[in-house]
Amino acid sequence: MSGVSPLRLLQLKKLQCAVFQTAFNPKSIRTGAKYLRARLRGPSMLNYYPELITIPMVQKEFPSFNVKDLQEEQRLEDVEDRKSRGKGTPRKARNKDESRRTKRRR
Amino acid sequence: MPKPFPNIRVMRDIKAREGFAGAEIARRAYLYVARNQALPAQVRYQAQLQLNTFDRYTRPTSVVNRCTETGRGRGVISEFGLCRYQFRLKARAGELPGVKKASW
Repeated sequence: MSGVSPLRLLQLKKLQCAVFQTAFNPKSIRTGAKYLRARLRGPSMLNYYPELITIPMVQKEFPSFNVKDLQEEQRLEDVEDRKSRGKGTPRKARNKDESRRTKRRR
Repeated sequence: MPKPFPNIRVMRDIKAREGFAGAEIARRAYLYVARNQALPAQVRYQAQLQLNTFDRYTRPTSVVNRCTETGRGRGVISEFGLCRYQFRLKARAGELPGVKKASW
């Protein structure tokens, strides 16, 4: 074994760290530096889902384009059709006595 | 087929992603203090308590990679971000470059 004292070795390590610009941490204390060093993951996480462009968005942004939302038109047509057959949504209750919730409780 | 409206689980996941991105720097700072053994124990404990007060939608683990087409949470092939069925449909339609059905 070499006859170099541990103190000298420690001094050597310190000098080495100074020369190569690394952190001198002889006791291997956890400094938490890895939390500062790591890249931020948020920006890439935000890009996971592709941006959804819907027809209402286009209509709102560019009213001059006159884009037709055929699905929405069909839906409104169906609703009117259902109403004409008496199958529409029930009327909203005006007061508490009309509401179905109170009736069920009795 | 029209693109389906993102379901509530996808909306929640987007919320989690936005929350995480917004709080990431503050979170990192508290993590640094809490994990730093060179700092006094009381400070580290306080930082840990602060970390625990963060909203649940600011945690990276609340983010789940869901299917970008249907929002399905299971069976998602991460390389394409699609669930297994959508992957099959798209691969057969030739919409995924470089993917073809194996046969030997």
